[in-house]
Amino acid sequence: MAQVLVVDDSSTVRNEVGNFLAANGLTVAFAVDGRDGLEKMKADPSIKLAMCDVNMPNMDGLTMAEKIRGDLKNGAVNIIMLTTENSPAMKDRGKAAGIKGWIVKPFNGTAVISSIKKLVS
Amino acid sequence: MMVSKVLVLDDTRSQFDSLKTFCEECGLVGIRPQSGDESSVMAILESNVDLGGILLYENFGGETGGGMGLARKIHDARPELPMFLRRDSLTSVVGLSEKDAAMFRCAYTQADLQQLRATLDASIFNRLYPTDLVRGITEMTRTSLDTLFPNCDIDVETPYLVKDRIIYGEVFTLIAIDSNWCRGYMMLQAAEEEVMGLIRRGSGSEGEAMTFRELNNVLGEATNMVWGSFKNRYVGQNGSGNDLMQTQVPIIINHHRCYISFGSEDPQLCLKYTLRERNRPGAVPAPIFQRFVFNLNWSPEDFMENPSVESFVNSGELEMF
Repeated sequence: MAQVLVVDDSSTVRNEVGNFLAANGLTVAFAVDGRDGLEKMKADPSIKLAMCDVNMPNMDGLTMAEKIRGDLKNGAVNIIMLTTENSPAMKDRGKAAGIKGWIVKPFNGTAVISSIKKLVS
Repeated sequence: MMVSKVLVLDDTRSQFDSLKTFCEECGLVGIRPQSGDESSVMAILESNVDLGGILLYENFGGETGGGMGLARKIHDARPELPMFLRRDSLTSVVGLSEKDAAMFRCAYTQADLQQLRATLDASIFNRLYPTDLVRGITEMTRTSLDTLFPNCDIDVETPYLVKDRIIYGEVFTLIAIDSNWCRGYMMLQAAEEEVMGLIRRGSGSEGEAMTFRELNNVLGEATNMVWGSFKNRYVGQNGSGNDLMQTQVPIIINHHRCYISFGSEDPQLCLKYTLRERNRPGAVPAPIFQRFVFNLNWSPEDFMENPSVESFVNSGELEMF
């Protein structure tokens, strides 16, 4: 049972973000790509927030977000993209998929933790 | 049917026949070490770098729990290989430490192989490669190799699925495949001396000096030919009749000689970053070299920065929508 799902093909990022969130009292699950993320979402209804990379193998993060809303019919989970991408077109696609926010890497936990906790509560 | 090679570490004689039958039904090609000692097992692991997984008996080697030490060594050496644990009576990892349990995709008993079958399907056989695609790839590659190695007969084994990420040999080529239905890479991997010998003898220049660069040329051309055939056969065109797959050039790597080629002789832009530990001023700094290789297109006259909409959000901060 986890509150936050961290989806990134980089184990470095998963560890960095996961350790920070856990140190701030949040329970964290992990997925290695969008396809894995969908499976983890299906398996754990307690997840309140997904933090996802965009560029991943097998399924990218924006497609995963669209499928969470579409195939999984989950409009409740909050989704934030954590990515190197910063293009308006990608953000527009994310907004259309109902994502809540966008963080351009590198991750700055201190700057975002209070917003993250609000999205989880 | 697609197959996969698995290392079978199970020395229970009474199970051999049923395990063999099971492997045949599942498309597993079992490889068994001559003896159960650790060094034999690790040697066979080293010489088989294209495995799909490992079937391990918990009490392998004759001692209760004897398989676990071996499992840890294998997992350290080849964490990409899924391991499946046979237990005498338990169909779960209960009783194992959390760290040990995490090494295995499932635990099964000989009495119930269906759980193993399901996990094998999810772990190894979870991607369907269309038969026509596999057949076509085999044909076009044989044709390319026939052309480049006219002195050789070419045999092709049954295609198989691999979870290993170990490179075979010293030299490999890499080329991107980018279409509307598949995106990724193709590699050709070879042992330098073996293939150089074939080229030397095939060209009648045995005894003459030949460098690894000639091998690069041949493998590079083989890669190029297969890529072109793949594009012609399996990649469509857009409405204007243009190929959906853009130009690609094989990348050739010889890691034994620390050599990489992108096919272009233009100078590469290189930057060297030196990392020095602040708390250890006397320590040897670590360099990281960055190179840009614009081998496919270089039009500096079109260089520009994207116009940016003024953003009040810095990187690392959350931009809420």
